[in-house]
Amino acid sequence: MAGSFCARLMGDAGADVVKVEPPDGDRYRRSGPYPGGSPDPEWSGMFLYLNSNKRGVSLDIEAPGGRAVFLDLVAAADFLVVGENSSKIERLGLRREKLAETNQGLIVTSITPFGLTGPNSSYLGDDLIAISAGGMAYATPGIPDMVGDPDLEPPLRSNTDMAGYLAGVQGAVASVAALLSRKIQGVGCEIDLSIQETVAAVMPFELAHASYHEAKARRPEIFGVMPNAYLPCKDGYVVVMAVMEAHWRNLMDLAGNPDWAQLEVFSSGVERARNWDALEPLLLEWTMAHTGAEIAQLAQDRGIPCFPAYTVGQMVDSPHVIERGFLRDMEGPGGEKFNLPGYPVRMERTPWQLFRSAPKLGEHTSKVLEEWLGYSAEQLEQTGV
Amino acid sequence: MTVLPLEGIRIADFGQIIAVPYTAQMLAWLGAEVILIETQERLTTRIWPPFAANEPGVNRSGGFNMVNSSKMSCTLNLRDPEGVALARRIISVSDIVVENYSSGTMQRMGLGYEDVKRLRPDVIYLSLGAFGRTGPMKDLVGFHSVINLFSGLASVTGHKGSHPRIMGGLFPDAFSGCYCILSLLEAIYHRINTGQGQHIEVAMTEALGTLIPEAVIEYTLDGTEPERVGNRHKGKAPHNVFRCLGDENWVAISVENDAQFKALAQVSGNPRWASDARFANPEARLSHQDDLEPLIQDWTAELHVHEVVCRLQKAGVPAGPVLDSAQVLVDPHMVARGFVQSPDHPEVGPRPLGAFPWTVDGGQPGIPRAAPLLGEHNQKVIQELLQVPDDEYNRLLDIGVIS
Repeated sequence: MAGSFCARLMGDAGADVVKVEPPDGDRYRRSGPYPGGSPDPEWSGMFLYLNSNKRGVSLDIEAPGGRAVFLDLVAAADFLVVGENSSKIERLGLRREKLAETNQGLIVTSITPFGLTGPNSSYLGDDLIAISAGGMAYATPGIPDMVGDPDLEPPLRSNTDMAGYLAGVQGAVASVAALLSRKIQGVGCEIDLSIQETVAAVMPFELAHASYHEAKARRPEIFGVMPNAYLPCKDGYVVVMAVMEAHWRNLMDLAGNPDWAQLEVFSSGVERARNWDALEPLLLEWTMAHTGAEIAQLAQDRGIPCFPAYTVGQMVDSPHVIERGFLRDMEGPGGEKFNLPGYPVRMERTPWQLFRSAPKLGEHTSKVLEEWLGYSAEQLEQTGV
Repeated sequence: MTVLPLEGIRIADFGQIIAVPYTAQMLAWLGAEVILIETQERLTTRIWPPFAANEPGVNRSGGFNMVNSSKMSCTLNLRDPEGVALARRIISVSDIVVENYSSGTMQRMGLGYEDVKRLRPDVIYLSLGAFGRTGPMKDLVGFHSVINLFSGLASVTGHKGSHPRIMGGLFPDAFSGCYCILSLLEAIYHRINTGQGQHIEVAMTEALGTLIPEAVIEYTLDGTEPERVGNRHKGKAPHNVFRCLGDENWVAISVENDAQFKALAQVSGNPRWASDARFANPEARLSHQDDLEPLIQDWTAELHVHEVVCRLQKAGVPAGPVLDSAQVLVDPHMVARGFVQSPDHPEVGPRPLGAFPWTVDGGQPGIPRAAPLLGEHNQKVIQELLQVPDDEYNRLLDIGVIS
């Protein structure tokens, strides 16, 4: 996942990316969701997402013939992006020192669960392991949401491969940084990216608590000033944030200026935090009387940052997402319409574009071998790929 | 690595709170000279906890110091036209401008992209917004929680049968920052090749949207909304966190195939699990997780988390500790790899932070230096870089333009 996403981002930036797949295809060809309803390796939604803007070559790099072709491709490449566990990388000989003898400019970007070095480098991992060992699971739910009952709410991950995407983006960052270094120094390098560390690296505030004071504990705890709360409402959940006095006064206006709003115990953000146990049920009376959409509308009109928990459908169908054209329009094998998330960055001079859809298995094998390696028709036949 | 990749690149940093400060910080670690432009009248993270020794102070905040290391600090009153004029002079000698004020703020100060392009035609100018700079929701005020709730990420996060939960660690900020860093490096590469600068716009909600392709596909195909499943997985079982010895200790275990399950059964002293029909193959385990998880918990609950991890990994079963942020900073593995760095700060001493999550040829690709004291580099920036003479500098200081 992480390696595929990293390479896709490089293809998005205009690189000629060749995906090397085993003869039975990448694992995400078997992952779905399938727009046509039934499993079809050419129509796995996840494969389409992870591999657009790439060409595809099918090779068995563990068999002698395929390995020789693979090494030729690596010798002709600027980058090799590898997303495997470290034992497999060692076993397949994918470390840069082995590969760069004839290609000193080669940059190897290796993305592994725990990195290629260090005491735990041989450990196996996946998203759950990385989110846990990187500190994110312990920190979830995060402010202003909070753990209600520590016994019933263990550390939590999102039901998506968040760490994989994160490592993919960080891998692309590391790769482009290495490309800039190569411009200065003339030689490539080996990037050793640890998915565990990519998770830890995106929670600087969480780490700041541990580094400067004390780590946040997993228990119901009111910080600083209130209200900055995640509360149930008539049809779901909503964040109510009114930590600044002007926001608080506006919020009380919306709630009809109840008598309790004047109480000394709610007279400042700090007081409201101290007396949150008394304030929460009073605020709940107001939130439970409105839908999330009503609360957001009322509050945002007065500049108060309140917002409801959207379903995926509410996000997809929101006028904002539609007007910005964030989602990519796709069509399945039987004309089924669906969307993929698009690119989150608008670059004026180098805008994202779809150069090509994800490749079919082995679609560009001969073409790439001709173009990159100058193989003749005869050589192509001999290699038997 | 002798020369850092961004040496010679100067960045004017108008970043607020985390996302853009985090972006500019990594570029600083990579060798860029980053001038953080601060305004005394609207300090944020500097006056927010956590503080060293729990003592408030503008140079003592971990929230500030851990996303602004290796930068210079220049304090200008941007509400005063003369302050804005100085900011424009800094921009005119900078390669990159980054900002994440609310939509329209930079324009109102005369520091928008169109203004800046006149000063510096090849400038790379990045704007990050919660919802982006266009579209009907562009002016919505939103912090990480709002972005989380809008983007659909919260919708796939939560315990089984329960409500959407907000991901921890203020995740949307730094994650959006990663896309900002990527696009800036690409823009620098483009500028080296063509001499062209450009405007870059990033929406935090869209950055988060890239994380949930499956949910987007499923909803747009037939309206299916994702179910919240706690830590479980559609294809792997067991796949969860389990309590270990002590109060706050869990181990994460993820089993993908029969060989790994057999190893788990063996290691935990329950070889008969592997032949139990309920657990014999992935499909069976997926439908009997309610039976399986308590059995595993009975085993892990008696052991230290690291013992469980060691035993399982030795047997080829993916497992890891659930670490809290304090444990992350002292984790022997991450410390050995150089991920944890402790730049020495003049007021709060050495404080560990998470540096690069990758190494280059075995070493960190850059080394974080301490975060600047408030206004520490005013003279260096305004007198040395902009060549403002002494009497003029003192006048600006007296009237509070430089504060």
